[in-house]
Amino acid sequence: MRAMLGSRRFAGAVGVTGVLLFWVLAGELWGVRKGIPQPWSVLSHLKDDWHLYPNHLKATLARASRGYLIGNAVAIGLGLAFVLVPFVEKALMQLAVATYCLPIIAIGPILQVVLSGDAPKVALSALSVIFTTLIGVLVGLRSADRTSLEVVRVYGGGSVMQLRKVRLRAALPSTFTALQIAAPAAVLGSIIGEFMGGERGLGIFMINSQQALDVPRTWGVALVSTAVAGIGFGLTSLIARAATPWAPRSAKAGRE
Amino acid sequence: MAMTDTLSSPAVKAAGDGIAISGLGKVFSIGRKKVNALEGVDLHTPQGSFLSLLGPSGCGKSTVLRIIADLEHPTSGTALVHGESPTVLRGHHHLGIAFQDPALLPWRSVEANIKLPLEVAGIDVRPGLITELIQLVGLEGFEKARPSQLSGGMRQRVAIARALVVEPKVLLLDEPFGALDEMTRQRLNLELLRIWTERVTTTLLVTHSISEAVFLSDVIAVMSPRPGRIKAMVTIDLPRPRTPAMLRSPEFHAIEDHLSELLFSGGVPTSGDDV
Repeated sequence: MRAMLGSRRFAGAVGVTGVLLFWVLAGELWGVRKGIPQPWSVLSHLKDDWHLYPNHLKATLARASRGYLIGNAVAIGLGLAFVLVPFVEKALMQLAVATYCLPIIAIGPILQVVLSGDAPKVALSALSVIFTTLIGVLVGLRSADRTSLEVVRVYGGGSVMQLRKVRLRAALPSTFTALQIAAPAAVLGSIIGEFMGGERGLGIFMINSQQALDVPRTWGVALVSTAVAGIGFGLTSLIARAATPWAPRSAKAGRE
Repeated sequence: MAMTDTLSSPAVKAAGDGIAISGLGKVFSIGRKKVNALEGVDLHTPQGSFLSLLGPSGCGKSTVLRIIADLEHPTSGTALVHGESPTVLRGHHHLGIAFQDPALLPWRSVEANIKLPLEVAGIDVRPGLITELIQLVGLEGFEKARPSQLSGGMRQRVAIARALVVEPKVLLLDEPFGALDEMTRQRLNLELLRIWTERVTTTLLVTHSISEAVFLSDVIAVMSPRPGRIKAMVTIDLPRPRTPAMLRSPEFHAIEDHLSELLFSGGVPTSGDDV
């Protein structure tokens, strides 16, 4: 029994059941008219609406994945440059912090004016991952064992060799954690971009359902968006597990 | 007696074709404070000799080693080994090094960790070399193991093998067994002695273990802290090959006692030492 209480899966199930119970209770108390439909009503609407989703889903996924790739590539490039050339860090770190402090919803309209087509949405998606990934990459690259770096140095290696032999691999666990966080962030960025307008995308679908006062459908879109973000998170963590088998993982310890 | 103190003996100074350190000084700046880590350190040993730096922690003995490894730059004085400066030694891949922390890369197997210096130096792996080294340090059967699967002593053996893989002319050992238990430490000292006898290399060992220093060295430099100076040079005349039985001999204990006396008494007054 104690083993069962201690297991992560069990604890997770307790959490989900709690949220569902709260949802049902809130649905009973306030009801659809106050904006809270019952979960089963959301699910049955989702089933009826399912044919409407693929188009929106595809559009959002295309933007989010492009934003994810571009944003993370920029972040990883910046991280490497920061570690190799300290001057670059001094020059650009402030800028990186600024992108993080700027509310994404405030940049949206500006990007909408400056860029055209899908670009502003992809850019928002990319912007929402850059800073977190940059920090993850930097923490990882700097977490490299000092003595291992010295060993490389004593055998004639310079900072590029230290990067190749020690820092890059040492940076993987923390980089993957950042990439995991970046997956839902990219989806969110793209959905916020879609709020600004357009034809297809989960964000647009959500706004339209809300304006049509279709409460269960609005909830359904939110649920699907969450699932997409969660799947992105989960896939990245699977890749991380396969790519860094030497890294200690807290989940392993908790599974006993 | 099986030892001679030769702090000012011209014979030892002249024979400085191994390690030749003259007037070495190092000042570290920690914030606004300046710490005098080394002052006027002179060390001269012949090629192929085993020199130990013995002293309490904080006496700057690691700093001497790190200067020879080109990991620190001296504030004053010069350090040469075989007539080459640390930068040249490092550039020519003449150095082998092992620290107290084995610093193995956790994602590499034992084999791949031992190969690392060759990859860094851009030297092709001679066929059979890695197998030889793994045999030398007694890790047969663990070639593919990852560091996390090894005990502390085994990890340190890997670090020793890694230090030897470039067939270094100079071996630098910074308390390599300092974090191990006494029994493992003695066993590894025996192995180190065997390895060193097979390929006589100019060696610098940093240690705070008196018996370890006596057992392994040709010469011991006793250091005093703040600022780090050489208090005495003690030549160990115990015959080689040395055996574990020697650890129990009266000569061995006499040398140990002599060294303790040097370490714990103010044998030589240390000027400017207000601590």
